[in-house]
Amino acid sequence: MKEISVAFLLNGNKTSVTSLPNRTLLDVLRTDLGFTGAKDACGGEGECGACTVILNGKPVNSCMIFIGQVEGTQITTIEGLLEKGEYHRLQKAFVETGAVQCGFCTPGAILTAKALLDENPHPTDQEIREGLSGNLCRCTGYNKMIDAIHLAELGGLDD
Amino acid sequence: MTDQFRTVGKSLRRKDAWDKTTGKALYTADIPVENVRVGLIIRSPHHYARILEIDKERSLEVSGVLAVLTSDDIPGAKEFGPLIPDQPSLARGVVRHLGEPVVLIIAETKLAAEEAATQIQISYDPLTPVFDPIQAAKEDAPQLHQDGNIITELNICDGDIEKGFQDADHILEDTYNLPRIHPGYMELETSLAVWGDDQTITVWVSSQHPFTDQEFIAAALDLPVGNVRVKSGVIGGAFGGKEDSSLSILAALGAWAIKGTVRLVNTRRESFLAHPKRHPAKIHYKLGARSDGTFTALQAEVHMDTGAYASYGTAVAAILTETLAGSYRIPNVQVKTLVVYTNSPLSGAMRGFGSPQSHFAVESMVDSMAEEICMDPVQIRRANILKVGEKMFTGVILNETATALPICLDKAQDVIDRFQAVEVSPGKKAGVGMALAAQSMGLGAHVPDDSTHRLEWSLDGKVLIHLGSPDLGQGLAMAVEQITAEALGLPYNQVESLLLDTLDRPNGNTTCASRMTYMAGNALIDASEKLIQNLLAHAGEILEVPADKLIYKEGEIIKEDGSTLPVVEFLGRLAEDSITLMSESTFSFPYPEETTPQDLPIGMPHVLYCFGAQVARVEVDPDLGIVEVTHFAAIHDVGKVISQSGVEGQIEGGVATGLGYALYETMLKKDDQWVDSFTEYLLPTSKDLPNHFENIILEIPEASGPYGAKGIGEIPLVPTAPAVANAVKNAVGVRIKKLPITPERVLGFVD
Repeated sequence: MKEISVAFLLNGNKTSVTSLPNRTLLDVLRTDLGFTGAKDACGGEGECGACTVILNGKPVNSCMIFIGQVEGTQITTIEGLLEKGEYHRLQKAFVETGAVQCGFCTPGAILTAKALLDENPHPTDQEIREGLSGNLCRCTGYNKMIDAIHLAELGGLDD
Repeated sequence: MTDQFRTVGKSLRRKDAWDKTTGKALYTADIPVENVRVGLIIRSPHHYARILEIDKERSLEVSGVLAVLTSDDIPGAKEFGPLIPDQPSLARGVVRHLGEPVVLIIAETKLAAEEAATQIQISYDPLTPVFDPIQAAKEDAPQLHQDGNIITELNICDGDIEKGFQDADHILEDTYNLPRIHPGYMELETSLAVWGDDQTITVWVSSQHPFTDQEFIAAALDLPVGNVRVKSGVIGGAFGGKEDSSLSILAALGAWAIKGTVRLVNTRRESFLAHPKRHPAKIHYKLGARSDGTFTALQAEVHMDTGAYASYGTAVAAILTETLAGSYRIPNVQVKTLVVYTNSPLSGAMRGFGSPQSHFAVESMVDSMAEEICMDPVQIRRANILKVGEKMFTGVILNETATALPICLDKAQDVIDRFQAVEVSPGKKAGVGMALAAQSMGLGAHVPDDSTHRLEWSLDGKVLIHLGSPDLGQGLAMAVEQITAEALGLPYNQVESLLLDTLDRPNGNTTCASRMTYMAGNALIDASEKLIQNLLAHAGEILEVPADKLIYKEGEIIKEDGSTLPVVEFLGRLAEDSITLMSESTFSFPYPEETTPQDLPIGMPHVLYCFGAQVARVEVDPDLGIVEVTHFAAIHDVGKVISQSGVEGQIEGGVATGLGYALYETMLKKDDQWVDSFTEYLLPTSKDLPNHFENIILEIPEASGPYGAKGIGEIPLVPTAPAVANAVKNAVGVRIKKLPITPERVLGFVD
């Protein structure tokens, strides 16, 4: 198998990698680029959502995307959510409501929530439950995540 | 009451949460290191087989392969185990379960390791496996270990069982079946080992007790314990499952073999097959009661499937057995529990530690008995709950915390009345059910149960907590920061706990058994007092006044003339004399002689209990059998809330895990393979949980607890499954005796 060169916009920065084409975006993000905020919790089977990134505005499991598929795309990882060192309102809201316990699912859940709010700024409980249902969490029972998303939807907190 | 506290009881922001929301938090798989090599474990494709030959020659020729290791390559102890050292790090001559580690490959890249794996020739002679614990307990079953399949048999008799059943007007008997449950932490088992100079090794772990990893690694590598340094990464959940060694021995073996750095990460499939689960159990349960509802006798026999190796099986069996009467007074009891080896995946510690299994039987049976004698389920419980000072069948005398039981029932009654008034959705049948629960705290009497933690007042004014037990993600760090801030009268932000490192941290013992806030909290309150004494002693010397003429208050030293000196200014002066202000304290779990039985035949009685009640409202589709939990209330006595959001999070997450136990989760064997992925093993998602959730938190102070606090880590999932099963019974009349409550079972198609 021959290595390929792939260029994409990662957290707003032009990025290019050389890799075997059969590696996943998750593997390349973590191993080659050092973006370890995306996690693997299901063994790369697309079942847990811990590796969620936003690809062209949609939340995707980065373990299900081959690196060869991301040529020319825009990708946001959890590391890209900070703007000029400022926390995103979802990050603040997750901290504020106690939605973070072990934190392993948190990056994926926050990115899923961001994509959800970008598309639907004022979701109902049911819409949030539907939107988050691909992000497994064993710690929280999801209640505080739902509270956090509502808090962020309403503008979040200043501090 | 809460006004007397500045920090304790408040809902504060977890300090680790910021890094967790930005991806900066370093879990063991994320820790950046140079020249890290990849480990890959070749695992048994058989449930049970003799290993005839391992030919690794061709695999060693693969480019990029650095080592191919078998049991023969382990220089020291080849087996490990928390209670019984019966588990080989790499199989020796025989494999006893599917997925058992046989060979460890270390390579420069994952691809090279995978290529090497295809070049190893292992020949097996398959043997006939046994999976059913009742079958495995028989003499003619295949015997997995030298001393047979029954690891332990626990028997407790109290009163006169024959007379107890003679006194009964009603006797009911049923068998309850509990499934194998994956702890389901999101962070998979991971370890990173770095070989150093001078025969030393540093190993990062995701573990509930890094000091145990340290011992196991030292034994396996035949190194002095002091040569092994174990550090905790940020931990992505544990739930009991990480009381067992999570790849640390094998990562260390690999690093030792190549004199380099090795990272091992399990896949979820490997985690399913080879890491301990909650024990499946079959509980045969017989209860006698008088017509007025008074329980007269309980007889139970339990078979626990601990899988191929013991793990914590015998200890789990103790709590399962001790809680077989739940929260009830039953004068005549005879219970027997067998812990049996099988060729199933390992079972060990998991949140609840035996209590979820026993409570499904007790709380289902109590509802059945209520129906049998036409009594209200709350009333029958009220008639039988234990009172303060009463003796459980284990001989343990309950302390004041038992006052929670009638209050739990009052609250549950109120919830039941409200839930029963909810309008039923068209085409559905609704039911409301409840269950009580008792969960022990602590490791048990006669077992070393000490916890040591340290404080350091650093030069920048921060008080650092050298926490001797890891935060598993549940929020231990926040709880002990709040307690220490309270004890020292400092702002929460001035106190910070550090990740565990066996090099220079005290041993706080395993984070488990619903007792870590209790243990560490008590130790740190005492350490805070000692820190103040040390401070004033040094201050007295430097200021040349007797220490007892100085007062400490809220970060300041107050002199006799009323003038104040901020501690932070004083620390610099101490540093000039190379003095660091520190203190350390050990808390030992109290087992008061007057309430602890000294002669319980199964040993290690647990004497301090947490109590709670839960109420579920379900709607069942009578045609499809699908159960939806629409409303849920969790009522728990926590002694004293330390962290409001932390306690709520423990309860909400615990109930979610309990609902998984009730409705979805089971590690089935299908076509000779175990279910080994989240595709078929269903963890509850955000869509599966009730919209209406009530957290009803009681605060009945526990005299021995830090500011009155008790544990809350485990009990929230204990009454959940029987509460749902009782609700299903009330909705459609079907008594579920085997979990999970699948549509097939609701419709009566199976079991």
